[in-house]
Amino acid sequence: MKAPPFAYVRPASVAGVVEHLSRDEPDAKILAGGQSLVPVLAMRLARPATIVDINAVEDVPGVERRGGALEVGATVRQRELERHPATAAVPLLRLSMPWIGHREVRSRGTVCGSLAHGDPAAELPAVACCVEAELQIANQQGTRTVPARTFFTSAMTTVLGPAEMLTSVRFPTATAEDGYAFAEISRRHGDYALAGVTVHVRAAGDEILRADMTAFGVSDTPVTWDAREVLRSATGAAGPDTDRRAITTSLMRDTPAIAEQLVTTSGDIHGSRGYRRRLVAALAAQELTLAYLRAVDATQGVP
Amino acid sequence: MTARIPRQDGRARNSAPSPRPAPTGLVAADSRVAVQLTVNGTPVDLHVPPRLTLADALRDRLGLTGTHLGCEHGVCGMCTVLVDGEAARACLLFACQLQDADVVTVEGLGRPDDLHPLQEAFSRRHGLQCGFCTPGFLLSAYDLLTLSPDTPEDKLPEELSGVLCRCTGYRGIVEAVADVSRACPDGIPGPGNCAPRTLLGRLPGNGVRTAAKDSPSSAPADEPDEIRLPPGEPTVAVEISTDVDASPRDVWNVLDDAPLVATCLPGAELTDTLGGDRYRGRARVSLGPVRLQFVGLAHVVERDADSRRLRVLAAGDDPGGGSVRADIRVCVDEDGWTSRITATADVFLAGRVAQFGRSLADDVSAVLFEQFSAALGDAASGTPGTARQQAPSALRMVLSALRRRLARVRRRITSHLTPRRSSER
Repeated sequence: MKAPPFAYVRPASVAGVVEHLSRDEPDAKILAGGQSLVPVLAMRLARPATIVDINAVEDVPGVERRGGALEVGATVRQRELERHPATAAVPLLRLSMPWIGHREVRSRGTVCGSLAHGDPAAELPAVACCVEAELQIANQQGTRTVPARTFFTSAMTTVLGPAEMLTSVRFPTATAEDGYAFAEISRRHGDYALAGVTVHVRAAGDEILRADMTAFGVSDTPVTWDAREVLRSATGAAGPDTDRRAITTSLMRDTPAIAEQLVTTSGDIHGSRGYRRRLVAALAAQELTLAYLRAVDATQGVP
Repeated sequence: MTARIPRQDGRARNSAPSPRPAPTGLVAADSRVAVQLTVNGTPVDLHVPPRLTLADALRDRLGLTGTHLGCEHGVCGMCTVLVDGEAARACLLFACQLQDADVVTVEGLGRPDDLHPLQEAFSRRHGLQCGFCTPGFLLSAYDLLTLSPDTPEDKLPEELSGVLCRCTGYRGIVEAVADVSRACPDGIPGPGNCAPRTLLGRLPGNGVRTAAKDSPSSAPADEPDEIRLPPGEPTVAVEISTDVDASPRDVWNVLDDAPLVATCLPGAELTDTLGGDRYRGRARVSLGPVRLQFVGLAHVVERDADSRRLRVLAAGDDPGGGSVRADIRVCVDEDGWTSRITATADVFLAGRVAQFGRSLADDVSAVLFEQFSAALGDAASGTPGTARQQAPSALRMVLSALRRRLARVRRRITSHLTPRRSSER
């Protein structure tokens, strides 16, 4: 269980990284925190000729408020973001980060690394899709911006080319009208989720402007469902005064059919497809309710 | 380039990002990366292949075998260490990434006579049975109580789930951490055993080439024929003197002739003369069932014919995971009709040879030196040697070492009754 031999380089700039990636294309891999890549190397599932360590790169942002977004640079570690005060502006990060692996993994693993790795059961790709984050990508021609919802193309596959580097991600910051919820079921704390959901509801008065639910661990990429209609009918005429349990019960009438569409992964030893569908149906109803209540009640808006 | 000031407290910086390491150029897969880091307060220079993990570097290059390896792909948490004050899995980090990093392992946490509160609590609460997971748990718990000291007790099992234990059922572990959390509400003491000291690897190739794989004349370019002694106190300091039945001049003439000296060293063999008074060789040592074969380098750094003084630096590695570095000073003095050879040596042991312990290492050194002196006497007086170029007889070594120990015990007993003679060591 030792990594196969590889050449190693630690450039000082994004241009240096891209240059080394293109020189060895497609046999070079970026190493940021290594918490996903190194196990893959140890199991000899990958044998890159060159590892390009980006931890010395100077021209990437740290954690910065930029307009209506929180920008997180390529070398920002998950735990660093978790305890950064600016993360309060993106409540879904606060809710979801503790679920990523263990402390020991988050202390090295990076936010952008998790996105670039694109594990379909990982938390951060789902969060990025749910809040419609934008990903900044650098290549030899310059830079491009890709919306999270089109970034993930298949299991551990993204639109990133072999000579491209994900330099930062921009998470839109929350307003008083936004409510968020996050839940996942895994066999043990720190495991990848059997299934999980992350929800963003935006409600102004009685009007539900957004109700996006992204499920993960259910398909080869995170899948997002526009739940506005279902949530509108569940909250009904009474709006935010509807009893919480009544909303969830009403949602449960619709979510099994939705879960059947969303959950396409085949079962494994830890849970069949049917079990994951039931999980998603239940979690969706529960978390949509919670996010909706948080959206309409400014006092509980930001957890 | 700024001077490196080793951080010795292993304390985490709150929410400050890790320092950016200096960039490094492309290093080929079969080449080595130079890395400087601090391990348990000791500044360390490593030359490692890119794929070597921090865990392997700690265990094999620095002899810090307290960091255990279980799954080697980040699941079990056995190899958890502190990197810049935060718990991280040493099997998921390449050593070459850790330029300027501050690493604390379980060896740095406390001393046997002054345990860290966490270690003390694990002991009191039976938080360990076989002990395999204990280093990982200790450093994971250290991280938790340092960075999240207000973690509620009912969250401890979840927070400690990054390390697996297969013996205890976790209760003792969680209770131990809860104890310390209650006892130290304002944060726990820092690691108590971080200071500059000797760190030597267990595997050959730590600066000294092994002959097992390489031909004697092809030293890799990145492994210079230099012997660097580790900083800190030696494992054993040996001082031995013995009389040889030959004139000082004859004895010195042998000492001055490296190939001839080599034939006098028990079990030793000179394999290569490198120039600049540097020599490569091997030495075999048998000790009961233990067989060690050292491959190494000797460098005569001082040679004074007038006062008949010689200083040699020696480095040897045993393929089974032992390493010896020594600073040896020999002088020949006139003593009536005969010569008196006095040798002092600072010996640094690491790996399995270090497990023999101080006293046995002392005894073995003494036995080897006696045999060496006898052979030297033979060579100086022109008598053919008896035991040259053979590994010292296993039986004889053990008997001889035992005899010395018994003699010492006897002496210790009798010294209460009789005044100590000056000739005794």
